[in-house]
Order: sequence, then structure tokens, then C-alpha cells
Amino acid sequence: MNRRKMLSLLGISPALLAGATVDASSKNPKTAARVAPAKITALNPKGLPPPVQLVPMAPRLASLDGKTIFLVSDGFPGADHFLAQVALWFQKNMPSVKTEYRLKAGAFADDDPKLNAEIKASGNAVIMAIGH
Amino acid sequence: MGFPTAPLVTIAFKDLAKSNAASRGMPLERICFTPHPVWGKTDAEMYAYLEGNDPVTGKPLMKEITDALTLPLTADEKKTGSVDISTGPPTYTDTADALQQYYLDNGMTDFMQIVLPTDERLAAMLKGTSHKPDEIVGKMSPARGSYPDWQFTVKHVAINAVMAGAKPEYLPTILAIAETGLTSLSSSTNSFATAAVINGPIRDTLNMNYGIGAMGPFSQPNAAIGRAWTMLSRNLSNSGIPGQTYLGTLGNSVNYNNLIIAENEKNSPWTPLSVQKGFKQDENVVSVFVGFSISQGQGGIGLGVKPVPQYHEAIAYNCIPFGPLFGALIVCDPLVAQGLVELGYKTKEQLADWLQKNSLISAKNARSTLFAGRWVPDANTPDDALIPYYRSPDWYNFVVVGGQTNPYHMVGNMSYRVSISIDKWA
Amino acid sequence: MPHLRITFTPHPVATKTADELRAYVEGNDPVSGKPMMKEIVDDLTVPLNAEETKTGMVNVSVGPENYGPDTPRNLQQFYHDNGMTDFLPIILPTEEMVDEMLAGTSHRPDEVVGKMAAGAYPPWGYTVKQVAINAVMAGCKPEYFPTILAIASSGTPSLFSSTNSFAYAAVINGPIRDKLNMNYGIGALGPFAQPNAAIGRAWTLLSKNLGNGGVPGDTYMGSQGNNLNYNNLVIAENEGASPWVPFHAQKGFKAEENVVSLFRGLGIVPGQGARGTSTDTPKYEEQFSDLFSVFTGFFGGLVVADPLIAVNLKARGYDTKEKLIEWLYKNTTQTVKDYKSRDFAYGFDYPRALKGLEPYATWYNMKDDEVIPRWPHMNDINIVVAGGQTNAFFQGGSLSYGVSVSIDRWT
Repeated sequence: MNRRKMLSLLGISPALLAGATVDASSKNPKTAARVAPAKITALNPKGLPPPVQLVPMAPRLASLDGKTIFLVSDGFPGADHFLAQVALWFQKNMPSVKTEYRLKAGAFADDDPKLNAEIKASGNAVIMAIGH
Repeated sequence: MGFPTAPLVTIAFKDLAKSNAASRGMPLERICFTPHPVWGKTDAEMYAYLEGNDPVTGKPLMKEITDALTLPLTADEKKTGSVDISTGPPTYTDTADALQQYYLDNGMTDFMQIVLPTDERLAAMLKGTSHKPDEIVGKMSPARGSYPDWQFTVKHVAINAVMAGAKPEYLPTILAIAETGLTSLSSSTNSFATAAVINGPIRDTLNMNYGIGAMGPFSQPNAAIGRAWTMLSRNLSNSGIPGQTYLGTLGNSVNYNNLIIAENEKNSPWTPLSVQKGFKQDENVVSVFVGFSISQGQGGIGLGVKPVPQYHEAIAYNCIPFGPLFGALIVCDPLVAQGLVELGYKTKEQLADWLQKNSLISAKNARSTLFAGRWVPDANTPDDALIPYYRSPDWYNFVVVGGQTNPYHMVGNMSYRVSISIDKWA
Repeated sequence: MPHLRITFTPHPVATKTADELRAYVEGNDPVSGKPMMKEIVDDLTVPLNAEETKTGMVNVSVGPENYGPDTPRNLQQFYHDNGMTDFLPIILPTEEMVDEMLAGTSHRPDEVVGKMAAGAYPPWGYTVKQVAINAVMAGCKPEYFPTILAIASSGTPSLFSSTNSFAYAAVINGPIRDKLNMNYGIGALGPFAQPNAAIGRAWTLLSKNLGNGGVPGDTYMGSQGNNLNYNNLVIAENEGASPWVPFHAQKGFKAEENVVSLFRGLGIVPGQGARGTSTDTPKYEEQFSDLFSVFTGFFGGLVVADPLIAVNLKARGYDTKEKLIEWLYKNTTQTVKDYKSRDFAYGFDYPRALKGLEPYATWYNMKDDEVIPRWPHMNDINIVVAGGQTNAFFQGGSLSYGVSVSIDRWT
């Protein structure tokens, strides 16, 4: 039975106070204090990240005039309203730009191949609202 | 995708967006930032964002967006090829105190004292398994699909086990947890918690606690195994970097040591969880869960009913705040399990059946919760229709643990993910 | 009374039928094997022996003042095996380290800080030096020491004897949060900052060693235990991002004072499952109410809200935390029938009702279908703002406010 369990069973108000100190180093504290602490070598705990394949960015458009921009939301709350304001901005400031709102299917990080195909077929660029 | 894209992200996710783009191969992706949040703002407020500046660059936002789509690519932006990610040197040398601070300052710990992983300690830890140090254990990421998976070996897991204060005999259990690939530090803004249920004779071999104080700080294997899970989640999958791979807005205190639950098999009237998942009773198994954490069931409806408390009603009641993203993990003291048997629930499955049939929510209420689409996918379902919380009873899982000082239970909105053999890693 | 004549019954007594209880009474004491009723009668009638009539003082030793010399590894195991840790690696408290910790306060090492008991036990007293030893073990830096001393001076243990497995929270307010570099942003409640982690951990270590708490089966009876006891809920309020008055100022302290406020209860859980989470115009007060609607009212309601929620609520008219608390109190209700069917009501409130204490006396006289508040008093509800504003989330806890203690006093 350990010491604390024994004390508990006795259930008596202690006269002494708890806690303890440890003398883990040399018997002569003065000697120990003068010696610099030893150096040790410890291991890197990290795992194996995969190498990153650089993905070249798509060439840019010469200008947005007359182009179709897909405004895509990843589904986070408020994205639809926000992109509606982006569409409104284009209407007011760059009326020759056509905008199309779409909600990407699937979870936040999922690709939406159907949408990608649609954009490729009938769009020129994407503004994507990404959130959570 | 093949067409010029201007990603828009709020400034709250600046670090995340940039590091994510880099880790996916587009370090120079032309990301534009808006103020935060967008959710909850009025149309006028959102339009004002558009007419204002990107809070990161200070440049007018809409010009930045149109430039992102039209300015020609620079030489750097056209680069291709592969880039290795370095995790730093294989060892660090300094005094013990300086090393402690180094590990802490570089995000390799849970911000508490570790056991410094020297070669000697690693060698001792590796004796806890027959597997070779270079053997790949598995892969893990802060959120599958959103971040790249990192891989890790037996040696990597062992180093983290040393750091957490584990003994070599705990290593097979820790390897099994690592193999699940479930990070204890999900990147989500939700601040998820994780649980690991241990079954089999190993609970007694390791002297795990499944009695009084089972889920608390009362036993070395419970504490160290739980801590090792978070340690390895950080270091082996790159989880837990605030703002980059960890976005939990409030954080979760359970993440320090996770919910390590050794099932109290000998005092349970029911089948152990591992056996329900297809293992034999004498196999050593770890089963992992993720979700919103657990809460105590005291105060539940029906618990004060005499002479026999209505435990099943209390459990159903306590699960009312659950959402559809995760299932239900019910953690019963053996006294509650025995009481439920006396109420007629001879098996966990019978109780799951009853709970599934009798836990209903109005479509209206379901629609206003997070991830409502999963709950009420059909817009035509009338608001007052009552739908079950869960489509099938197997969304409910039960584990029996506790020291029988009182008939208490806990409930968690948590889902079962997978069970892994610990014996495999012996 | 080490020789107190105790008779044991089988366990449990609660939930047993009258027949089963009669069988207990007619059977044997499971510890001594003797017939129970004979044992009880003997206990009351057999004359006291010499040992039982002894009087005087008995000193209790907690062991030698130090251990060793031995290897650090053996010493670590010694501390674990003798229940002096949370079973995770500690910093071995050498004289040198304790001296460094003591430099974190102007108070003398032998000054009595307070006393603590983990329930209905004789309290243990402790000095500044004793607290320092435990702070070293937990991995604290000397600058954390005044906060640890403040917690220790409250006499509130983080490990309580109850079968309930209580959880504890410490809310920190004042400029010290920034001085210590505490985390009140992303991951505030989790393992992301040394002061948060070490201060929380120190509370549990000193509860074990200075308050004699946490001895399973003796001073700790929590049937299932609580994971939150490892580091406790250390919550540095995000005062800068909060639109409201900080918690300590609500309790009468000045904003520039450094204060720690302690809570006790059942735990805390994220509120993302609450009704009303997923709308374009969320009403957060309704989400709080929804989450709390199934919690017991026996402990208070503590809301820990991200600043995004606080800012939104203020903009919608909840100028102060008090306004929000008033709304919550009025709108989080239960029927009398439901109230009466809960275990806490029967076990604790009913005896109070019998004594005429309010509101219990009135509640127990009401009809089953009448509606009453979730909590007995409005000030059972408290609100703290913390978080990194990555999303408008909150956590809700069945946690009651206990006491606020000045940290400055212990510098």
C-alpha cells in the first residue's frame, strides 16, 4: 500500500506539511553548481511529409471584357450572399463581364468534376469564395 | 482546374490559405483576402468589403481580383517540378533544459515537459515491438483531403511515445492508434475531440485503469497513451499549428490526453466493443472515435425516478443537443449497464434499436442546425415532420467503464471510425 | 477515530428494491463476513477496548523531506508510484529549481498560503514553498507562480471526492494574460501555450499533494473520472476582442487587476449541435439556451463564446453580459415534472424544499405542467469571451462560479 493511501485511511489532520524535495545531483550541492550542465543529443520526432509537386498556374486572360467569370462558392455560410455582391459589382463597374454563380458540390475540399467541365466549356475564369 | 482562378478567402484564414497553397504545389497562388467574417454580414457590408482594400496587401480588392485573372504569369509562377519538404536535422544537441525549451518553442510538444528522446531511450522503447524501426506504420493528415498525408515509421512513433512518457510495453497500443490515421488535432474550426477504446487482456497486462477515475489522471498507461496520440498527431502529420493546420477557434481541453477508455469488460453484462466490431474477446484492439467531446449525464430526465431510474430515457434525453455530423458514443458505468439489462436491454444492440427509434427531432429544428443538409436533404419534408436523429442503430456505440461508486453515464456526439489490432504490433 | 466501528453493506443501495435491501440486512457484512444486524447491535453495545478509548494527538507524517539521491528515471517512477503526479513526466523538484520558482514571488517560503480538502475531510495546510515544489513539478516558469499561489490560496481543489467526477475551470483576467503570453486565440482551451498548460496542470498536482485529493477509493470516488482534470479548463478571457466588460470586472475588480476566477461542475462541450446554428441570421442566445436546455440546473451555466458571437450579440442589443444572462434565465425553462425527475433534484433540492429554502420550496409545490427556470438563480449563469474568431462558435458548461482571487496579491 503506498504512503498516500495509508495516510488517507488514517484520516487524521496532519501536523506536517506535504511536498518533498529531491536531491538528484551530486552529494555536494556547491560542487554541482559550479559544473556546467552536460549536453545531450535528442531525436527529431517528425514524420515524412510528401514532396510537393509544383502545379503550374493557368495562363491569364489579356482582359476581362466580354468574358464569362464563374463565381463559385465552396458552401460556407454567407458565401452565396457575398458572391451576389461580387456579381453586382461587375454589373455596376464592368458591365461587359458576364458572371455565373455556382455552388460547388461535395464537401469543402472535394473537387467537382461536373462543374469544372462546365466552366471549361463555357467560362473563361473563376473567382472562388473559400471558407468554412 | 485549367482556367485562371482568383481564390477569395477571409483574412482569418490567411496563414492557412497560403500554407495550403504551398503544400499543394502553388506557393504563388494569387489569393485575395477579404475582411472577416463574411457570414452574418448584410449585403451593404459585403459590398463595402468589395469597394475597400484587401486587408493583407492594402490594395483595392476588386482591382486585385481582376489583376489576378489578367496580369501575365511571372517566371516563378510558371515553374514546375517537385520540391522536398524538410523537417529539420535528424538530431538536436544541447543541455537538457535548452532542449526542452527548443522542442516546446518549435511546436513539437503539448507545451509540457517531455521525456527527451535520446538514442538510448528510443532503443529501449523499440524493444516494445517486434516490428522493424523503418517499417511504415501508416499515414495521417490534419484533415483528409484538405492537407497532404504524411507517412511515418515505427521509429517515428517510438520517438513520440518516448516524449509522451510511455513505457515500452505501451508501444503496440500507440502504434495501433497511429495506424488508425486519425489525428487527435483535427484542423477544423470546430475543435473536435477524439477517443480511443481499448479492449482485450492488454488492459490488465498494462494495468490500465477502468475503475474509479477511469478517464482521469490516475494511471500511467491511460495518461501516457493518450498523450502520445496528441504528440504523434503533431509531429507525424503536421497537425496542431495554429492558423495553418489547426483552426479550432476555441480549442478543446480534451486534446491534451484524449479520452482513453479501457472497457470494464469483467463488470459489463454486455459484449465488449471490439467483439461487436468483429474481433475475438481475447484479441487486443483499439477503436477510435472523433466528435464534439462527451458530457456527463447527471441531471438527465428519469434518473431521479424511484425505484428504478430510467437510464434509457436519460440517455436519449442527454443526446438531444447532438447534431447529424457525428453519431452517439454512450459511456456507461457498469451499474448503469446492469440497470439497463434489468430494464430489458440485454444487449447493446437492443438499446441502440430503442434509442434509434425513439430519438426524434422535428424537421424544423433539424433544419436550423449545422450540416442540416445531411439531416433533412429533402426540401419538401414538412417542418413538423418527426425524423430520427440517426438513420440506423449502428450510429450508436456503447462502452462500459467505471468503478461502480454510482450509476452514472456520459454521452458524446462522436462517431466510430475504425478498430485496429494491437496484437499485430506486438 | 481510527477504530470507528463501521459496518459495510453490499453496493449499491440506491436503485435497489425493498426486497433486495431486506436481503442485505438479513445477510452478512461483505467485509467482515459477520451477520450484519448482529454486527450493528454489537457495535453499539460491546464495551470499548483499550485502543478505542485512547486520546491525545497523533502526528501524521507525509514522508521524508526529500527523496534520493537516485537516478532521475527512478525518481520519476517513485513519484508516480506514490500518487504524487498525474502520471505524466514531471520536472523533478530539486532545491535549485524550487529556489528559482520562489523568486517568482515576494512572499516568504514558509508563509502559509491556505488549506485544502477534497471534500468532507480534514483540510491540509501548505506553505509558499510547498506550492512552489508542485509548480516546478508541473513545468511552470517562475512568472506563473503568483497565479498558482492565487489558485492554491483559494483552497479549491481540482480533484473532488464526489462520485460525480467534477471538472474545474480557472478564468484568468488582467494584463497578466499578455505578460505571460497566455493563449486566448485559436485553440484557447487546448494544448497550444505553455502558461495555459502548466498552470492548469499545477492545479491538479497541488490538489493531489497539498490537498490530499485524488486518491482513488479514498479521497477520489468519481465513478468514471473526468479527462478535464489533467489540465483543467484554463480560460484566459479574450478581453481585447470582447465588446463586453471582462469577467473579473463584473465581480468587482478593476480592469487592470490580475485575477483568477474558479468554477466547478460537470464539464464543458462545444455548442455546434444547437438549434439555430445554421441560419443566415443566427440568434446566438437561442443557441446557448438550446444547448443548456438539457443540462442540469444544479450547476451554473458557463458560456465560453468566441468574440465573433459576442460582437454580434452586442450589435443586436445585448449591450452587457447581464442583459444576455437575463434573457437566458427567462428563456431557458423546464416543466416541474421534468425537474422533479432528475437525480440532483431529488437528492439535493428536495431536502432544501422541505426546509423551506427558495426557490425549491415553491417549485416543489407547483403543478407538474407548470414551467420554471432551468437554474435556481439568475446569477448562476456566467459568460466569458475567448477564441480566435475563425468561426462563430461557443462551448457550454455545467459549471458554477466559486470565487475570484487576486493574483497581484501573490507577486
